[in-house]
Amino acid sequence: MSLRVLSDSDRRSKLQTDQEKVIAQLHQVSKKYKGAQSNALENIDIDVFQQDFLSILGPSGCGKTTILKMMCGLARPTSGRIEWPTSNFQNSPQNPANLSFVFQEPNLLPWMNVYENIKLPLKILKEDNYRADEKIYEIINLVGLNGFERYYPKQLSGGMSMRVSIARALVTQPKVLLMDEPFSALDENRRFELSQEILKIKKEKNLTVVYVTHSIYESVYLSDRIYVMQSHPGKIFKEFDFAGIEKNEDYRFSSEFFEQVKIVSDSLKGVKFE
Amino acid sequence: MLWEVLTHALNIKWYLLPPPSMILGSIFQNFSSLMESMLVTLKVTLIALSMSVLISVSLAILFYLSKILERSMMPITVVLQVTPIIAIAPLISIWVDSSEMATLICAFLVAFFPLLTNTITGLKSTEKNHLDLMRLYRANKLELMRFVVLPNALPYFLSGLKISTGLALIGAIVGEFVIGPISGHSGLAYRIIESGYQLEIPKMFSSVFLISIMGIVLYNVVRLLSYYILKNWHSSYSHTD
Repeated sequence: MSLRVLSDSDRRSKLQTDQEKVIAQLHQVSKKYKGAQSNALENIDIDVFQQDFLSILGPSGCGKTTILKMMCGLARPTSGRIEWPTSNFQNSPQNPANLSFVFQEPNLLPWMNVYENIKLPLKILKEDNYRADEKIYEIINLVGLNGFERYYPKQLSGGMSMRVSIARALVTQPKVLLMDEPFSALDENRRFELSQEILKIKKEKNLTVVYVTHSIYESVYLSDRIYVMQSHPGKIFKEFDFAGIEKNEDYRFSSEFFEQVKIVSDSLKGVKFE
Repeated sequence: MLWEVLTHALNIKWYLLPPPSMILGSIFQNFSSLMESMLVTLKVTLIALSMSVLISVSLAILFYLSKILERSMMPITVVLQVTPIIAIAPLISIWVDSSEMATLICAFLVAFFPLLTNTITGLKSTEKNHLDLMRLYRANKLELMRFVVLPNALPYFLSGLKISTGLALIGAIVGEFVIGPISGHSGLAYRIIESGYQLEIPKMFSSVFLISIMGIVLYNVVRLLSYYILKNWHSSYSHTD
């Protein structure tokens, strides 16, 4: 199996065979900001399957972040609808623990130390202290923050802050993780290290990840599927499927990886990227 | 030292500018009465400051929660702020019987405004991403205030407190100048007037000196308080580990 571009009919047949695996669906979602001349997003169709690693790849300002924010209820579509059809994932915005969001910046509260920052969602969701501590220390181990519990955000490097941010998102044991260019401010090595860990955690926790990025390399390296967007208005114009390709550490330096990066890049000719 | 030497060298009359040794001497001479006055002034300053903190923080939260309240009441507070306290003080002393209360109100009126505006700015400057984070987990208003909005306003509040501490002292002194001794006990301001009448210039200077010392001590207490509250997380305190 290798990389292929999905046509509309491919998409329909995939939907039919994997019907019960659909976790979220965006139907013809459009977004127009108040006072804006034209749509920021136009007729977006996205299917998220269980345990997918799905990337939304596009130039800056094409509305990628808005898609994520609409998925978690921080923004409303102007038209179209977002559905969460799986019965065990009823109507996510009413069940915030199921869905987590990793912001572009770590977005930690500076007045709370690492432990308190990670604990915050559990406090709001009224988890009892004993259970909360269990979950917090499990996550702290998972993302490698042992020994940093009492540190304050201003004492942490960018990479460490992002780890805390990821830990905070994971502590509620979500099923779906939405990530908004989480590593864009990090250097190459740190970015690779954390991507690697996200893949590991995704596997361990059976997560579904929706990942927004403008890096072609990152999206090819991480994803099972990529939606490619253009801007003005934000639209999806291509969908890639990486079915059956094992994403391990060797993959990043394999010729297969670079070929696939080239295929995705070629498809973007004429689309402005920054 | 220079002051001491110059007053002797230039033969400046002690009733114009007493040398520091004379001022210190006067402090020791009148130690108990000056300390008593200092306590009176300190008490007024501290009570006025606590009142300012309580009222301005409550008002700031109310204004933050309700735009209408802010629009309707902010102008009143501005009027109170821009009218010189020295002009209002006589009125207050007419309206309020107790001189202690009148002085308190003076000190309060000068001190509360910086606290109010600073705290409001702090509440309003909450980052949108932090608010989004709270919305994501469906936090209620109380949790939003407790976890995000109030801590965010803390540095602003504390910098307002630094200004207001000095102002409360000034307000207390001005109030006493205009209103007179506080329920029979004279504060430091009244000592200045008193020694002025009696041409006890060194004593006058010693009162001024004590007021400055009080101001410096109060300011530094607040500065330290603010340091201990913010040192861990606020960027204005560089991290040393």
